[in-house]
Amino acid sequence: MLGSIFDPAFADSVARISIPILLAALGGAICHRAGVFNIALEGFLLMGAFMAVFGSHFTSSATLGTLSAICGGIFMALLFAEFHLRRPGDPIVVSIAINLISLGLSTYLLRAIFDVSGVFQSDQIRKVSLLDIPIIENIPFLGSFFSGQSLLFYFSLAIVIFAHFFFKYHQLGIWLRAAGENKQALEAGGVSSKKIQFISLILCGALCGLGGAQLSISNVGLFVENMSAGRGWIAVVIVLVTGGRALPLLGLVFLFGTVDGASLRVQGFGWPQQFTEMMPYLASLLALIFVCYRKLKFEKNTQGIRNV
Amino acid sequence: MKAELHEISVKFGTFCAVNNVSLSFAPGEIHALVGENGAGKSTAMSVLFGLNTDYQGNIFINDQLRRWKSPADAISAGIGMVHQHFMLQETMSVLENVILCSEPVNKLGFVNFAAAAKTVQNLIDSYDLQIDQTQKVGELSVGQRQAVEILKLLYRRSEFLILDEPTAVLTPNEKEELFQSLSNFKASGKSIILITHKIDEVMMIADKVSVMRSGNLISSKLLKNTSKNEIQQNIIGGKLPKPIKRKQMHPKDIGFEMQKVIIPGLATGGKPISLKVYLGEIVGIAGVSGNGQGSLVEAIVGIRNILSGNMLLSNENISDQDVSARRKIGLSYIPEDRQSVGLALDASVLENSCVSQMRNKQFSNGYFFNLQHLFKFSEQLVSEYDIRVGSVKSKVRTMSGGNKQKLVVARELEQKKQLVIAENPTWGVDIGAINKIHQELIKMRDMGHAILLVSNEIEEIMGLSDRIHVMANGQLSESLNSDQVTANKLGELMLSRNEPALSEKLEMMRP
Repeated sequence: MLGSIFDPAFADSVARISIPILLAALGGAICHRAGVFNIALEGFLLMGAFMAVFGSHFTSSATLGTLSAICGGIFMALLFAEFHLRRPGDPIVVSIAINLISLGLSTYLLRAIFDVSGVFQSDQIRKVSLLDIPIIENIPFLGSFFSGQSLLFYFSLAIVIFAHFFFKYHQLGIWLRAAGENKQALEAGGVSSKKIQFISLILCGALCGLGGAQLSISNVGLFVENMSAGRGWIAVVIVLVTGGRALPLLGLVFLFGTVDGASLRVQGFGWPQQFTEMMPYLASLLALIFVCYRKLKFEKNTQGIRNV
Repeated sequence: MKAELHEISVKFGTFCAVNNVSLSFAPGEIHALVGENGAGKSTAMSVLFGLNTDYQGNIFINDQLRRWKSPADAISAGIGMVHQHFMLQETMSVLENVILCSEPVNKLGFVNFAAAAKTVQNLIDSYDLQIDQTQKVGELSVGQRQAVEILKLLYRRSEFLILDEPTAVLTPNEKEELFQSLSNFKASGKSIILITHKIDEVMMIADKVSVMRSGNLISSKLLKNTSKNEIQQNIIGGKLPKPIKRKQMHPKDIGFEMQKVIIPGLATGGKPISLKVYLGEIVGIAGVSGNGQGSLVEAIVGIRNILSGNMLLSNENISDQDVSARRKIGLSYIPEDRQSVGLALDASVLENSCVSQMRNKQFSNGYFFNLQHLFKFSEQLVSEYDIRVGSVKSKVRTMSGGNKQKLVVARELEQKKQLVIAENPTWGVDIGAINKIHQELIKMRDMGHAILLVSNEIEEIMGLSDRIHVMANGQLSESLNSDQVTANKLGELMLSRNEPALSEKLEMMRP
């Protein structure tokens, strides 16, 4: 049975499934590090996916479609910034509002612009091109993972590595962390923490927009109502579990991708669909339990220590 | 660098926090700005540092008129401030903290850590600071954190250092190190402003002293042209209240006893802690902060479990009781940290003053509060303990530190419990409030309560206690009679052992 799950097509699907989550989680990580409690990733992703199809359909260009997706994500991020940073909105309330607005708005626009409900498909939609990498594509199993993926796959891997160094060695990365940990200290140095948090939101919006583009115009080339289908929430969990650190985040995203990919496969073995669809969420629950357990243990060990 | 505040006034609504204050600061000078809490000294300095931009009057830097839009302007003009509550990133290294917001970067915005480390090491060496720049700030002691703050200013080439209550949290050793550094800065031509209310420190290190009281500048003189007495009188605006006398007591009943108690996390070296507090006496626990006093207090109050031994209160063994049971039996606690342990800052004075008596029949019938009684009770506390607040409905957050502390003391003492634990009850509080709190503690003692006073201030311990224990390195010394012991002897006991590094302490706490 295992052999028939883990075949090259499986490796390919894991990579495809993981990218939107990875991009959204990276965006979420930036916000998390900057101290913005952003759980609106789902909404950002969904608007990105819609705007990608919108742009790609009307311009017949995958590049412009991707740019349009980024704009969609950034637009939602601006909404978030307006209500949470410029006005004192509670981040949870703002996030929920944005998630609901995205769902409603994308469904409404689908009907208003394309006059369809449920699914929109057209010949004019251009998809992001896939990249075959010579040599690597011939490696068994790994080849179908690392080669033949959309450009966004390679781009997002590059961003993870960049993000790792960015948080450590880049001025803006350090300021982001400072804004998240102790913003008074940043402000005492003359840097506005609101400004830094605003930048983090914009970056997050752009990355989620890209994730949306991967969802709608990378492999499939269509938009479905509520297309993000909980991927933004999984990204939120990953961010919180990893504390927004880039490399652990990458590992966890691929773990979820694997579970998700496997869940599709085991349906073929007669496992009930209701259970297999639960698997990624079960995995996220287990990850949370694991982290909380470790945290509890740590707190128990250091119990009673005062802040000296 | 020369700086001058010219006829500065700051108003918060109708309240005038700073009234027409003119001050001038010269290079190579340590200028102490003293006054009670709420006298306006911090507000005046926040104008100079650009934190407060809504003021009347003028700031002159090197005889040029300047007006800051934000602290960034003041920083780039060479003014730096160390805040009373440190502004540091605990998970970052010393180096990252020092260069934060002024990192040397290349064209792509990546930070050149090698160059920065070199510059910072040069500063550390040239001013002889005791600090390792690769350490995480979270692992540092309070004194070292302060050194990081100062290093931040030096790195930004501040010529003008404002320090807000810099010694409030330091051990005597750290204080000495700080003063040594300040003298070094002075010698290199920097000007230093010391905001403080500790007169002894002013006498030790300042060149010029300015006194503020209720927003007004009372005097501004060179130290050699004034005297300790004059400064003190200027601060409180009248004659010093006399130290109150206490009743002669002959305590013979034990109010609280610890029998061979072992507290986890204390480096007692296998030596358990035994302690007796008789009814009608004040027992002082002296010691440099961080030597285990906090754990001891937590163990007595019930926040920390003990490993073995007995604790007796009113002849009941309380070692296994929880906090509320212990309080019911007869314990009240004035915590060191009024901001987060002692008070609910966003609740009103009324709520805070009644909170520990809510189950009392007079205060509620089990379902609803007896508001009339709550008002009466809290208003009575406010007037008895001279707590200055507009109305009992005001939020505690709006009160000054001294008044907050008086509220905590009032609430805890008013319950008239057998044992009172006072942990640094006058920390960061102005002279007026200190006197009031001391009076109340003595009053409790004279009424026959047992009082355990834990304090880092030797003067406080000497002035109030009947008997004294010294806590060093997690161990409690023999009991000393306060009329026989000298401050020197205490200091010797306090500093006899070296404090273990924090990491070691953390290691020991692991089970």
